[in-house]
Amino acid sequence: MEKLLNLAAKVSDQAEIFSIRNDSSSLEMRNGKPTDMSASIQSGFALRILRDGRIGTAYTKNLLDREELVSNALNSLKGKVEAGFIFPGPSEIPPSWEPDGSISRMGYNDLHSRSGKVLDYLKGKAEGQIDIQSGREVIDIAIMNTRGLDVSRKSSFMYIYASLLFPNTETSVHKFFHSREAGDFPEKDLNELVDLYFSGLPEVDTPTGRMKVVFTPDTMYTLLWRLSTATSGTTFYNRISPLQNRREEKVLSEKFTLYGDPTEPEEVDQHFFDDEGVPAGKLVIFEKGILRNLILNLDYADKLKEQPTGTGYRGTMWGGDTVSLPPGPSLKSGRIAAGNTSFEDMVKSIDRGVIILGVLGAHSGNILNGDFSVGLNPGFYVENGKIIGRVKDGMVAGNVYDVLQKIESVENLQHFSLMGGRYPSILINDVSVAAK
Amino acid sequence: MIDRLKSMINGVEADFIDIRYEIKSETKIGFTGREIKSVGSNRTDGYVIRVGKNGGFSSATVTKEEDVPRAVELALEGANTIVATGGKRSVLAEVPVVEKNIGLVLDGDPGEVSIDEKIELTRKYNDLMLQQPLIETTNLSYREIGRKKHYVNSEGTSVSEEIITTNISGEVVAKRDNLVQNIRLSIGGADGYSRLLKREDIFIKRAKIAEQLLDAEPVKGGTYNVILSPLLAGVFTHEAFGHFSEADIIEDNPSLRKKMALGKKLGSDVISIIADSTMSGQLGYYVYDDEGVAVKPVTLMDKGVLTGRLHSRRTAEAFGEPVSGHAVAEDMRYEPIVRMGTIYIKPGEKSLDELFAELGDGLYLIDGKGGQTSGENFTFGAQYGFKVKNGKKGAMIRDINIMGNLFTTLRNIEAVGNDLELSESGGCGKGQLNIKSALGGPHVLIRNMVVGGV
Repeated sequence: MEKLLNLAAKVSDQAEIFSIRNDSSSLEMRNGKPTDMSASIQSGFALRILRDGRIGTAYTKNLLDREELVSNALNSLKGKVEAGFIFPGPSEIPPSWEPDGSISRMGYNDLHSRSGKVLDYLKGKAEGQIDIQSGREVIDIAIMNTRGLDVSRKSSFMYIYASLLFPNTETSVHKFFHSREAGDFPEKDLNELVDLYFSGLPEVDTPTGRMKVVFTPDTMYTLLWRLSTATSGTTFYNRISPLQNRREEKVLSEKFTLYGDPTEPEEVDQHFFDDEGVPAGKLVIFEKGILRNLILNLDYADKLKEQPTGTGYRGTMWGGDTVSLPPGPSLKSGRIAAGNTSFEDMVKSIDRGVIILGVLGAHSGNILNGDFSVGLNPGFYVENGKIIGRVKDGMVAGNVYDVLQKIESVENLQHFSLMGGRYPSILINDVSVAAK
Repeated sequence: MIDRLKSMINGVEADFIDIRYEIKSETKIGFTGREIKSVGSNRTDGYVIRVGKNGGFSSATVTKEEDVPRAVELALEGANTIVATGGKRSVLAEVPVVEKNIGLVLDGDPGEVSIDEKIELTRKYNDLMLQQPLIETTNLSYREIGRKKHYVNSEGTSVSEEIITTNISGEVVAKRDNLVQNIRLSIGGADGYSRLLKREDIFIKRAKIAEQLLDAEPVKGGTYNVILSPLLAGVFTHEAFGHFSEADIIEDNPSLRKKMALGKKLGSDVISIIADSTMSGQLGYYVYDDEGVAVKPVTLMDKGVLTGRLHSRRTAEAFGEPVSGHAVAEDMRYEPIVRMGTIYIKPGEKSLDELFAELGDGLYLIDGKGGQTSGENFTFGAQYGFKVKNGKKGAMIRDINIMGNLFTTLRNIEAVGNDLELSESGGCGKGQLNIKSALGGPHVLIRNMVVGGV
């Protein structure tokens, strides 16, 4: 990396190298049998150079020719992409936690053994098809720039995803176990999975109309996707946010507080700097419904004349090859502050409503405007405080700025979400549900 | 390169081994509003190894040549573990051994067009949209992706094939007060740079639709009879039906395999669906898939009867059905999985006017805005639409998402139009992103669709 940085420094005012190495393997068991085992060792390098207020970028996965990479960045510079920002200098970044060696050492036999335990536990408890995916991943990220920044982090984790399919369908309920060290799926979570399965076993007709709706942690991204788009520096700079000119105003229910904090100790991918080397920490976006901060990378912090927020990351909702993507504003390790209602009491308080356990189509609809219209996959119908069964062909629709004004209660616990972050369930009044 | 790849897999103690080396090139130019946000041309590469041994089958991907031996070890370990743990036994269907080198057939080689010309073309289209009075901003990108693939297997097959996909795509955003409406747009394909030229009308038209959406009504949730536009019918075909025609999706779900047995009457008499990546000029075009099998057209459904399925060599053997050449990877980071290339509903005989008359009251829904399936349930968004009363198009509507069950919906297809349109850009996510995913069809009339409204 140093040789590359030195080479780039000669042709630029400032230069930055981002490198990543990712070593992963995964195992899939469908219908109780191992069906796929695959492994991947990928690397990559991304170069950014600043010269005369402009930026040039280049990347490669296989650093065979440093001069070619620098030449690609110089060619990119000819595109005259303006950049008013500078790269961050060295700063006091606490060392990230040391990765547990047990993850690096995990082989297919270990993954199979842990997945097998889940299978054995669930067998006989529910008649639905059992599908299990498990895997391990070790990631090394390093960033160096010509202002003296030289930071790196290692992270490693394993996961097991267990799902139970309702008979003769592909609709399922699932639970996810995610850990920094090699471990087994907690039985408590597997028992909850079985309970969920039986709650949703009957398929029921659901009336169309406005009713109470619970967004559970795994479905929260439907709402957060729209909020993070609206509060992104990109959207604000381009003057297309519905929240434009509403900083420090109460725009959502006072029961709603959203922040991101990748430094929290329980975060599986705990880290202290973003993908531009800017120190990361707790960033509050909405505090009791009041819009406090925007999500910024270096570029949009400069354009909006604000301080960088440590939220510049390479990546998209759809994955993509990390090194090929420029750092954009993105809220990592999202949190919604817990409320004071247990999930059981939340369900008991519903006279008529739907608990959304999974959604289809969160990416469809007018995200910029905050609109959503998602299929329930699955959703459970509740009457008089009791779950009656799973909704047949149902959709829930609304506008995030409308529905998040009508929060009735927030669960008193945060749960890890499959899409990242930790959130409580949220009960919302008067939401449109369409069903066949 | 082929000889080097052969030497890398020579002597490996396995029943089957293959290796794919790929060089991927990408040119990207991005505009946000009037500002140019990115320009770059980059090139990278990597290896994919698959091993079959004693019925176990496993894969590993690596970036560096020096890691290829480790990839072979990992794939062998995976294959052995599958056997040792009583996992799924995999056998590959027999296919002809071939040695082929497939070059590019392009109308305008993007490699011969300067980056400055590409920037100016994208800027021109971008400016046309920004000139419309209510357009607040745009996101528009030129993207050119080349895959140069070299494939070798232990049976003696070697195939090299080059593919270049070019497109200009993005969204245009209209705004009035705090109301924001956007429309997606895309031009492009796999047949060269010329397809991108002289397309001004599309950009102006899409910008005007975004402006009109500011005055459109949000659709009211409920159950409707609908006419889907060709590209939206294509989204349904791809998302709801097409994924179920990919053998690996249903392979390990006994109840779905039963439901999707060939010969079953699943749809109404008017619906026939074809997957054909051999159609030249289309986005989904290729000659050999990523396990060295020539792609073939497949009639998936004929007059409502399930007649074909998309396969890799492994799934074809498992199902006892013909290989179809549909094992495709996103790039060198991935092993191939079963993918659609070009999929469409076969046109019928009715004009759009006849479909409107048959619809009577309902909705006319136009162009896709993303879709997703989970088993037999699907959802997809429409970019905009119109109310229809007594067969006449009425007020414009927005915020439209549709949900349904595949099998119910196939039975509810009442009429099929006589037109045909195929998409010019794709992006199907199934663990990997397939940009060479083309979809389409004619206008289609469907009864009783659940539409979610605000």
